[in-house]
Amino acid sequence: MPALIEARDLTKKYGSFVALDRANFTIQSGRIVGLIGPNGAGKTSALRAILGLTAYEGQLQVLGREPFRERAQLMNDACFIADVAVMPSWLRVDQAIDFVAGVHPRFRRDRALGLLAKTQITGSRRIRELSKGMKTQVHLALTMAIDARLLVLDEPTLGLDILARRSFYDALVDDYMDESRTILITTHQVEEVENLLTDVMFIDKGRIVLDCSVEEIAARYAAVTVAADDIDAARAAKPFFERRTLGKTILYFEQPSTQALARFGEVHTPSVSDLFVAKLSGGVQ
Amino acid sequence: MNNYAWLIKREFWENRAIWVIPSIIGIVMLLGVLFGRIQFMNLGTLQQSHVVGQMVLSAFGATFFVVMSIYSTWYLLDCLYGDRKDRSVLFWKSLPISDTTTVLSKLLVALIVIPLVYFVAADITTLLAAFILSVRSSGALGGAMWHGDLWLQLQILWLYVIVTTAIWFLPVAGWLMVISAWAKRAVMLWSILPPLALYLGEHLFMRTHFIATQLADRLMGYGPRAFHTGADSNFWMTTTFDNDQITTPSSLWALLNPAGFFSSPQTWIGAAVGAALVVAAIQLRLRRTEI
Repeated sequence: MPALIEARDLTKKYGSFVALDRANFTIQSGRIVGLIGPNGAGKTSALRAILGLTAYEGQLQVLGREPFRERAQLMNDACFIADVAVMPSWLRVDQAIDFVAGVHPRFRRDRALGLLAKTQITGSRRIRELSKGMKTQVHLALTMAIDARLLVLDEPTLGLDILARRSFYDALVDDYMDESRTILITTHQVEEVENLLTDVMFIDKGRIVLDCSVEEIAARYAAVTVAADDIDAARAAKPFFERRTLGKTILYFEQPSTQALARFGEVHTPSVSDLFVAKLSGGVQ
Repeated sequence: MNNYAWLIKREFWENRAIWVIPSIIGIVMLLGVLFGRIQFMNLGTLQQSHVVGQMVLSAFGATFFVVMSIYSTWYLLDCLYGDRKDRSVLFWKSLPISDTTTVLSKLLVALIVIPLVYFVAADITTLLAAFILSVRSSGALGGAMWHGDLWLQLQILWLYVIVTTAIWFLPVAGWLMVISAWAKRAVMLWSILPPLALYLGEHLFMRTHFIATQLADRLMGYGPRAFHTGADSNFWMTTTFDNDQITTPSSLWALLNPAGFFSSPQTWIGAAVGAALVVAAIQLRLRRTEI
């Protein structure tokens, strides 16, 4: 099966600033992929390119289409939530449903109404009258009622409180995700999404620095908590990152041999957020 | 086509002023007609009655038209700027509607839909005003409002003006949309500054006024092209009221000059420039997502 998204040497420049620098990546169908990077790393530029919102250099195919040239057709099969605050403030909830139902061939009105029925939101409310959490619920109900193959979320929970964030991700996983769908999500808050991802892509300074499935992380990376006496011996095994915390030292290794590392201390698989810090900080911290 | 219908509906949801402003004008006019002082002129002849009816009807229509021109200008400057400013453009672009369709729907609203709304509002207002006037003045003036040929002429005049202004002012509309799709702020200022700079630059460095002439002709040249302006007696007639003589067009459509308008090269050069500017606005809309 061809990849859902395929980028070759994807480049985006704003004047002399290079937001994406010959990025290469492939996203397969049925995955939940986290595009993770610090602020200004090129996450949003990558998503804008994928969604056809911006021109780019290099090659990019999304669902077999060139996004910038064919955005309207692409949006029949892909949908996105840029962030929570982009629903037009003057729009009424029932108008929003009518409009999307009118222009989107894959929108299922009954599904949107069903999702909204679980909330306190009535159709006659205007978006501007709703709280931030409610706006998210409306946007999510509209988006999840579309039978799309690709859902792209850009910092979807920015500005939401912890309860709204939790219910956002619960709804995503419980009500929306199935094998026919693919979700691409960017965030700089890794902790929030790491439990639901199947794949991670780290992006830094416009380049993809890591692209693998969550299962692969265990095979490719190991972290060892090393006692003070063994530090020098452990360092000789060439960790790529070292972190001191609460009087302990944790060393991170790539392509490790677990047996060899076990001599230095307790070996574990780093979490996505720890790996993110390790990969992007570079060197000893 | 279905998408256009939804996009036009969406413009009515967002810009309630499209119908609220003409409704308010109509209501204010009707209040004036209901409670204002009416000059009871002596309308002895049919011609006198005709001329008064014509003047009243065209005064109502002209008021609607002037307000509409101002509103449409504002609408065009805001239509591609407002949703970039509040970032809702990201919501609209998540739907399977091309930017070409979006831009053309807004152009259609500005040049055809809004004028039709004002046309309908003007018609309803004038009909009600004629009714009120004929009840209040019970006779001469009331009678002046009910000449069937005047009403027919008024409808033709409106449709003629809607079609010809849409063509003549297409480059102005295209320019306003380019600014609306491009500017990061101060759309009003940006719409005026570049033409002003071009005019001043030409004036200072070349000592010529080609640009100024073109701009002035575009803004002022509609009337002389779409209507007869000569003193030809075919177009004008003089009516005597007591001691006054009033010269008016011999009918509401006597002055229409479609042959002159559609055969003027300026009409079609302008339309071509307008089309190019609309294409430019579409290209900007494709690329400029946020402020």
